[in-house]
Amino acid sequence: METFSLLLQGFGIALQPINLFWAFLGSLLGTAIGVLPGIGPALTIALLLPVTISIAPTSAFIMFAGVLYGAMYGGSTTSILINTPGEAGSMMTALEGNKMARAGRGAAALATAAIGSFIAGTISTVLLTFSAPAIAELAFYFRPADYFALTVLAFTSVAVVMGTSRVRGFISLFLGLALGLVGIDQMTGQARLTFGIPALFDGIELTVVLVSLFAVGEILYVASRYRKDGSEMTPIRGQVWMSREDWKRSWKPWLRGTALGFPIGALPGGGSEIPTMLSYTLERKLTKHPEEFGKGAIEGVAGPEAANNAAAAGILIPLLTLGLPTSATAAVLLAAFQNYGLQPGPFLFTSNPDLVWGLIASLYVGNTVLLVLNLPLVGIWVRLLSIPAPQLYAGILVFATIGIWGVANSVVDLVVMVLVGIAGYVMRVYDFPIAPVLIGLILGPMAEQQLRTALAAGQGNPLVLVSTPLSVVFLVIAALFLLAPVLIRRLRANA
Amino acid sequence: MNFRKALLPLAVLAAMVAGSAQAQVNVMLPANPGGGWDSTGRQAFQAMNDAGIYTGAVNFTNKGGAGGTIGLAEFQGAYTGKPDALAVFGAITVGSIILNKSPIDLADFRPVARLTAEYLVIAVADSSPHQSLQDLVEAMKADPGATPIGGGSAGGVDHIALALLAQAADIPVSDLNYIPQASGAETVTGIVNGTLAAGISGISEFQQFAEQGRIRILGITSAERKEGLDVPTFKEAGYDIEIANWRGILGSPDMPEDNYQTWVDRFTQLNESEAWAKVLETQGWDQFFIAGEEFGSFIQEENERIGAILKEAGLAE
Amino acid sequence: MPNERGHAAAVGDSAKAAVPRPWWLGGLVVALGCLCLYGAFSLPQVARYAGIGPGLFVTLVGSGLVLLGLLLLIQIAQGETFTPQDTEDASGSEKANLTALLTALAAATVPVLTMRALGVPLTALLSFTLVARAFGSRRTMIDIATGAILGSLAWFLFTRLGLQLGGFMPFAGI
Repeated sequence: METFSLLLQGFGIALQPINLFWAFLGSLLGTAIGVLPGIGPALTIALLLPVTISIAPTSAFIMFAGVLYGAMYGGSTTSILINTPGEAGSMMTALEGNKMARAGRGAAALATAAIGSFIAGTISTVLLTFSAPAIAELAFYFRPADYFALTVLAFTSVAVVMGTSRVRGFISLFLGLALGLVGIDQMTGQARLTFGIPALFDGIELTVVLVSLFAVGEILYVASRYRKDGSEMTPIRGQVWMSREDWKRSWKPWLRGTALGFPIGALPGGGSEIPTMLSYTLERKLTKHPEEFGKGAIEGVAGPEAANNAAAAGILIPLLTLGLPTSATAAVLLAAFQNYGLQPGPFLFTSNPDLVWGLIASLYVGNTVLLVLNLPLVGIWVRLLSIPAPQLYAGILVFATIGIWGVANSVVDLVVMVLVGIAGYVMRVYDFPIAPVLIGLILGPMAEQQLRTALAAGQGNPLVLVSTPLSVVFLVIAALFLLAPVLIRRLRANA
Repeated sequence: MNFRKALLPLAVLAAMVAGSAQAQVNVMLPANPGGGWDSTGRQAFQAMNDAGIYTGAVNFTNKGGAGGTIGLAEFQGAYTGKPDALAVFGAITVGSIILNKSPIDLADFRPVARLTAEYLVIAVADSSPHQSLQDLVEAMKADPGATPIGGGSAGGVDHIALALLAQAADIPVSDLNYIPQASGAETVTGIVNGTLAAGISGISEFQQFAEQGRIRILGITSAERKEGLDVPTFKEAGYDIEIANWRGILGSPDMPEDNYQTWVDRFTQLNESEAWAKVLETQGWDQFFIAGEEFGSFIQEENERIGAILKEAGLAE
Repeated sequence: MPNERGHAAAVGDSAKAAVPRPWWLGGLVVALGCLCLYGAFSLPQVARYAGIGPGLFVTLVGSGLVLLGLLLLIQIAQGETFTPQDTEDASGSEKANLTALLTALAAATVPVLTMRALGVPLTALLSFTLVARAFGSRRTMIDIATGAILGSLAWFLFTRLGLQLGGFMPFAGI
């Protein structure tokens, strides 16, 4: 009951007009910067850090909460409307969301994303309020073998589920793994696959690959096969809003996405990629409309969006309760805390209750502001699609290049953009799935790091990899994913 | 006709930018926004401004990657011989240049000032049998492989500190089971759940977990005990080591002598200012100031010490 | 892109020639695998305690790519079909328009050459005009104007918000 009154007090702080203003400003700025491909919440907050010097901590963090959700929502918007996910968390949204938008159901996709995010945010805030300390302990429970098994599960499920052919799915995955190996090996300091180019020492920027594969590859592909006489893109077809059917198909994915996103987001290295991806594969397995997947299934937007938002709340748990930053965004928030001479951790709850509960309440307020801000705008956003195709695709390329340039002002990144764009073109022509490349690139380094840590700590004994119950469970599920199609075929043959 | 119409808005926009002020000093921050070097640079100039030491415009450039070597290489290319160009760097840069066989040489730059330091601590889980630094070192000596120790990336300050400790205790550096972790968070969780026998990292990353009673700090790499932290130094425990993760400022190669002196003076004033003292306090940084040629010889010594350790660890030729 | 021609020709052929056989695709995957293996060659395979050195994972990924490339070649030999992905604006079965593809590719390559020297607005102008052209727009003057305005507005907005995008027109010193 005490937490409840503290939360109410927090709302009292967050709902002060001046703080509402900061939440509003944060959401607006976050959305504005978030629509630029490649510029995610972490970079946005880092850019706004200098602003915080002049305003009070509580207001600053309330603004950051708005930025965090705003940038995420900006990323979803570009994923859905122009098939250009700005950051890893909204990658899965692009798969079905853009197909929906092209079929004239962009408004429904944006709405299920916004409402799903809101619901996931609401549930996560409640969980954050009442069970943060317990969930925080998860971080200490997970061992390297568990993480490794989790990445193996992610690899096999994505390579098997995505696309038409398993061979091509695995080729995509391995290409991503190879890209992920480029750069300096953290464990030995050796440069790998850099071929003497210093700009590659830090590896290939994920956002560059993400934007290039989706946006540039798509532009090349559509340009080469564009039907001038074909139908223009339809901004809206049929019902504008979510239909009764859409609601019915969305609410379960929202809840399942939240259940995946929140705990995994709370783990070090968990991030938002694994839960959004698992949510997508889960919805694809459970759906009653499997034929719609790949053509614009609403479940494929609802689940990952909820997971993404829940994960964003999840990362705050270890940060606030333990002072443990588990993602890039959390690390930037930690820097912001330190700017005020505050050290997050269990003592923050007792030494600065106003700040902590104000922040938790403002997460909620930020979510609501975003919903209020965005739902009426959905109709306007969708009008983007009525721009004639030549100018629309030209605009997408311009935004993609500015986004990539803005990340690091690197010409090498622009070269990578062209090369990966060509690869994205070839993959579309020969029907290779795109998502496994990114999963390989994102999780490959983590898989290797955890594998090597587990083995080094176990002095090279491979049995450490199956030494915990969780690791065994994950690996068994992974094996099932890989073998299930074969087994089912056999069973049918026998029957 | 159309063409002229197209150019009109461009001309208007161009006129608008041309009016904006030109920057006075260019500062390279060879790290991504939000990190330690980024805040060192930005806060130092903010404090200079507050204290009235330097109130002109500052143009920051962030260029992260490979321990600062990528940003510094770009800095060298763009600003050699230019009067007002500075770069932030630190202890990590020294090891990275050697490890990555980077073409840059810190001796080419003008050493302006060393500003801050963070000392390192070594810690074990609260449930660990090792009660003192000597206990841990004995365990490392008896079976280095069974004593996995986590920390930052290979060749970084954490690794160097552990290697120096091993040397002081006559343990071959190449025998250490040092496991670099992706983040401080993973080092802490690894210690607590028993994956790692011990971990080494900056104080700020460990201190509060010690206060929570999850881990026990056994030693600190500073010369004297740190206030508010009841932990013996490595020296007290019998290992004559002092090492810190320091951060400093470099001037462009071949910077004109006048400008160089001006900047050394400005940073010396900054170091004594009230504004800077306040920054140090809120950020939890330790003052670690030397300036000018004295700083140059310090960089040279660090270079030799770290180079020798990396060789012994088998990470560099 | 020689491959493109091969593909287009195959699609254009009569039904008898049937399945196109993009051997180069399998070959490319094998080649990329070999590139990884070559990169792994100089790295130590084994580390002291882990038993896994910096080179092992690279070797595994390289071998995996070679193996998968060979599997793909076998599939191609068996007549595996590759159906280009369908999207709303493009039909997979249509013959590729090489000129449009190359124009779009040029638009993507332009920033590599001009971003640093000419700055964001002019680069945006060039890229925008080229892509619009690739998609068949012939209102070049309007496209130039749109590209210039879009690039300049984006430069202003995002520079104001704190992103580093370089100078407005670096070659002119602004």
